[in-house]
Amino acid sequence: MSSSTTPKIAVIGSGPAGCYLAQSLLRAVPGCELTIFDRLASPFGLVRYGVAADHQHTKAITRQFDRLFQHEAVRFAGGIEVGRDVSLAQLRELFDAVVIATGLTADRELGIPGAELPGVIGAGAITRTLNAHPDAAAPLPALGSDVVIIGGGNVALDVLRFLVKDRAAYEGSDVADEALDAYLAAPAERVTLVSRSAAPDSKGDPQMLKELAALPRAVYSSPDPIEAGNAGEALDRAAAGRVAAIRELIAADRPRSTGPEVTLRFGLTPLRVLGEHRVEGVEFAAGDEVIVVPASSVVTAIGFAAHPDHAFAALTAAGAETGRVEPGLYRTGWAKRGPRGAIPENRACAKAVSDEIVADLADGSLSASPSTLGFDGLAAEVRDRAIGYEQWLRLDEHERSLAASDRVRRKLPDHDRMIDIARGA
Amino acid sequence: MKFTVLYGTESGNSELIAEDLGAKLRETHDDVEVFDLQNFDPAELTPERFTIVVCSTHGEGDLPNTAIPFAEAFDAALPDLTGVRYAMFGLGDTFYEETYSQGSEHIDRRFAQQGAERVGDYGRHDASSWDMGSDVALEWLPGVLEAASATV
Repeated sequence: MSSSTTPKIAVIGSGPAGCYLAQSLLRAVPGCELTIFDRLASPFGLVRYGVAADHQHTKAITRQFDRLFQHEAVRFAGGIEVGRDVSLAQLRELFDAVVIATGLTADRELGIPGAELPGVIGAGAITRTLNAHPDAAAPLPALGSDVVIIGGGNVALDVLRFLVKDRAAYEGSDVADEALDAYLAAPAERVTLVSRSAAPDSKGDPQMLKELAALPRAVYSSPDPIEAGNAGEALDRAAAGRVAAIRELIAADRPRSTGPEVTLRFGLTPLRVLGEHRVEGVEFAAGDEVIVVPASSVVTAIGFAAHPDHAFAALTAAGAETGRVEPGLYRTGWAKRGPRGAIPENRACAKAVSDEIVADLADGSLSASPSTLGFDGLAAEVRDRAIGYEQWLRLDEHERSLAASDRVRRKLPDHDRMIDIARGA
Repeated sequence: MKFTVLYGTESGNSELIAEDLGAKLRETHDDVEVFDLQNFDPAELTPERFTIVVCSTHGEGDLPNTAIPFAEAFDAALPDLTGVRYAMFGLGDTFYEETYSQGSEHIDRRFAQQGAERVGDYGRHDASSWDMGSDVALEWLPGVLEAASATV
């Protein structure tokens, strides 16, 4: 039961940032009541829609968050978009504190001439399509025979893995089969992955590279020096692991197998995308040289940014040291620190933001007001429309029951249909 | 017996398991504490309390985030763990075969070197399996308790 001194806190976004924050608050602010909003009918945000479909072990983190949503003090309010169904100002009146945990969902732009050409596609957009995100473009855009991936981080490696894998490699996944089928009907013949950094300093996790090496798919080569890095500095463990994994990938004795020919390039800077009506190639600076890589499509995987038309893009566009915008309004996860760090890093971030909220409660700059109504104060129409956790479980069960025998779930790509199923319509 | 359950975590899974182990132990024992390793002083390890460590693996077989301050404090002032008995439950992913569950072993080595005695099976949870970590840990616990009582 709520009391007048119970802090009511709204969390916007049910991805890992929002879930970790809610977990932290439950511990740090005993008696608080939490409402976790999501514009989608399903919880988990990036875990559901941003983690590659073939990395189900990463998606298993949702089991931890399931328990959060089962907590009596936590309410899931899915299908409610802050900025459309309810304003941020309204939420701030209804709740003692509001925490923005929306992440950053737009693919960062390449910002070079030709980047607007058809055939230049963001990695996030591809990942969302493969994850059957309701907002994603379906079908998957045609990538053609020669794909250039710009970026060397884990998202770029996710895309590379998708391009080299065959159908059998998706066993046990929740990949959107229509998107997979579309790609496998005309898979890439040549893939060039281009990192600005030298190999040891490139951003991908060694484990992600080892995974590629262990796949009996594709043939890898690199014309660039693999060992060169920050001259004179001892390689740290991650860099050493990365170099070893890349060596393994391009080793002459790695068994030859089917799949695309993959060229790994390091230390190249993209200058412009070439083409008249659509992508034909990419020009890169390699030291003093300029080289051209032919391309039927270009996948950019150079990070994420705030969606420019997002209702509170201004609050999340730039990374900040502190989660406190002002007492009563906070941000966490990528909305706070910018698009860096994997899922677990949001846990430590959430703890820090939760500490700021606790400090504000302690010094009185934030207090639980008897007049805040929380979720109950929302318009009846909004409350009725909000998808609760039990309703999500119905949708979850439906998706699992629809899955083919070699899939763990079949996600519905249509928002309205998801809502209907969740409501038992 | 009195119990201290310690966890080292990066993503929160070890914490959940530690909490579940703590709840299970409280059903039959009065004195059960659960701590994040980063909030626990190695000097507090004592033979009076049976210690259970739940620890995940990060990066290249490294300690997870919250276990690092503990390991640093441990190394800075090596405690005498003679008579301390403990059980170890490691988390990892066999997908990464070389580094599977190595995180917990950093703690295990430290405990062993300082004279502590590991009791029962070395528990492990594999993230590549479809088992729930807490289920595996709760199945593992009775064997540990039995071994612990047998060696008192």
